[in-house]
Amino acid sequence: MKRRDVLKLGMVGLAAVSFKSIGCSGGSYYVGQDISLNITEALFEMVDRKPVYMWAFQDPNQPDPMKAGPRVPGPVISVIEEEDIDLTITNTLDENHGFRIPSAPGRPDVVDFGTLAPGETKTIYFRAPSAGTYMYFDPLNSPVNRVLGLHGVMVVMPNNPLNRVPYSHPTANVQALFDDLGTTAEFPGHAWEPSRSRIWNLHSIDPRWNAKAQAGTPIDSGQFQNGFLPRYFTINGKSGFFSSHDMDTALEGHVGEPMLVRIVNSGMATHSTHLHANHFFVLAVNSIVQGNVFMVDTYPVRPLDRVDWMVPFERPPDIPVHPNNPGQFLRIDAAQELALSFGGVRQSPLDYPMHCHMEMSQTAAGGNYPLGMVTHFTFTGDVDGVPFPHQG
Amino acid sequence: MALQTIQRDLVTPEEEVKFQKFISPPKDNPDTPDRLKPDIEFYRKLMVGVDLNLPSRLPDGTDKVKMMVIADDAPKNRLPEQFPSPLIRVRQGQIVHVHADGGQDGHTIHFHGIEPTPMNDGVGKDSFEIGSYTYQWQPKHSGTYFYHCHKNTTLHVELGMYGPLIVDPPEGPGYVTGYNLPGHLIRYDVEAFWAADEIDTRWHDLQHNAFLTHSGHDPNDPSTFTSDGILNDFRPNVFVISGAVRANDTTPITDSRVAVKAKVGQTILMRVVNAGYTIQQFSFGLDADVIAMDGRPLGVPPTGKYSAPFRLSAGTPFRLTSAQRWELIMRPTRTGTFPASVDYFDWVTGKKLATARSQITVA
Repeated sequence: MKRRDVLKLGMVGLAAVSFKSIGCSGGSYYVGQDISLNITEALFEMVDRKPVYMWAFQDPNQPDPMKAGPRVPGPVISVIEEEDIDLTITNTLDENHGFRIPSAPGRPDVVDFGTLAPGETKTIYFRAPSAGTYMYFDPLNSPVNRVLGLHGVMVVMPNNPLNRVPYSHPTANVQALFDDLGTTAEFPGHAWEPSRSRIWNLHSIDPRWNAKAQAGTPIDSGQFQNGFLPRYFTINGKSGFFSSHDMDTALEGHVGEPMLVRIVNSGMATHSTHLHANHFFVLAVNSIVQGNVFMVDTYPVRPLDRVDWMVPFERPPDIPVHPNNPGQFLRIDAAQELALSFGGVRQSPLDYPMHCHMEMSQTAAGGNYPLGMVTHFTFTGDVDGVPFPHQG
Repeated sequence: MALQTIQRDLVTPEEEVKFQKFISPPKDNPDTPDRLKPDIEFYRKLMVGVDLNLPSRLPDGTDKVKMMVIADDAPKNRLPEQFPSPLIRVRQGQIVHVHADGGQDGHTIHFHGIEPTPMNDGVGKDSFEIGSYTYQWQPKHSGTYFYHCHKNTTLHVELGMYGPLIVDPPEGPGYVTGYNLPGHLIRYDVEAFWAADEIDTRWHDLQHNAFLTHSGHDPNDPSTFTSDGILNDFRPNVFVISGAVRANDTTPITDSRVAVKAKVGQTILMRVVNAGYTIQQFSFGLDADVIAMDGRPLGVPPTGKYSAPFRLSAGTPFRLTSAQRWELIMRPTRTGTFPASVDYFDWVTGKKLATARSQITVA
């Protein structure tokens, strides 16, 4: 299989992406084998439209003007296991920066650029590590440079994606789960398709520190860690209504269309990500594919953690099954609800939230619930492919 | 060169209805759609005040905290108002109705870990906030859950609007689903439910709708948003387990809701939920088997097919973040008093804030 085809399979719904939103979206987006990133700066409007100064990554070779600007998180780097990558980083700012991609705990870094002086450009060759979810970030003055905006996600696809498992060396339990999706009575519907993937880059922002960076004031990392009071909480750079309706972030599909979610936490707070309507399987944590695969509705994501979920998109199990509905079709069991509207918004499709349960993260500027770390989980149709009626 | 400004997405006129619902869900009193005859019914009234007495005065002289709970509202044999809110206990497969009264303000009940339709999931922006409504669901999986208000949730859960929820297997209390061939049923003699929580007493002076967005304003106008909130700033100064307040870091809680009493040869089922907003580290002085997480038994097909229960030797700590639930089985083999504790860690700094201690007494 050609590299291009492998990546196409792994793209995050690329064809469906709306480019209406710019900047803050982490978005479905990749750079190829020759990857260049500039370290730069910009003002980013938060959910309440208050601008916050951030350090940001920018792809200087991005031809699409809607995606060419500074981004927090940076562009998603998507590569294939064991391919040779040629990575160039340029520091366009006035202070030292760095670039690092850690591997599993206790293992050597995938890559570490050391220090890039103001104006400096460095190119490093590295070989893509084992398939999975990685975070890149500026490790200098840790955690300051990362938290002030210099972070992003690297996705490594296995070089045999036809196995339909996102790891080259899955544990027996992870392989069994993927084998069962779409083939057993518990998981009717479809097997996992690599295009059914999302990335959630969780982040927390305390604008007081960003203002210091904008003023050129040196920041002591100890004071930063002790005095950090997060005021904005984002998923892929967006919050609340905007992260809930971002097609790259929200989960959407029919019953029986399982979806992989790759979660990283580049911020300062420990999050407790909770999905409504489905329990999910925890597949991998910090590059370690799990042997004991828990099915849970809430799972912690500590700072720097990388956690992969499989959301089965099973019929929400606690909806009563009505008599005479052996197929357990939701369009029958929820027929009356699907026809209702509240506040001018239809109940069809069926919307649920995913949110962090450390509920301070559901705020912006200390309030404005729920304009924090939240997105939508939406069922648009039944397991037999029939969309729900009354959608709108 | 001037700094580039990256704009937030603008809310289009077509999206405005959805935005307004997102920040200010409508209050409504609909009939339960797709309604079936219930097997069991509960009655709950949202936001009822109850005082939580403290074992000693806080530095500001306070000796009690005003909690807001979800009270029993049954037409007869009504339970007293209590913090946490009273237990909802049902059996796997029952059709459950919870008749809820949201009062004048509009609230919701979310049954955490239960997965019904959006109207019965209790999230306002995905359905509505209640005046009055009957929630309907039919639990497929037995296990440990909890329920809470999901309006201005940051504040409402902190004020005390949560309570324990247990789904028993069809055999009823005394049995729990866990890896145990052939039927994956474990019989227990003693049951405990630890809901560990923390209280920031500053938040308890706030109005229940504090710091919400100004609804009806232009969502693209920064003045729509409040800017003076403190709900990102959680500084707990009171620490509780299942409503029992710890006096200090060293004195064990002896309250019968927390301290466990068992005999040699008996089986203890310990249900644990992080009902707060810190990182909570639990430790029990007896060997324990972790048999379930979040209402899904480990090693029990179909959902537990890819997992297995595991042993925590006595004193091995484990950490839960907000809303995680574990079930542990302990089988004491000797008499004695065994420590049991929760350490609370700040969600940002990771610093230890307090310890609540209790004990398991084996006779």
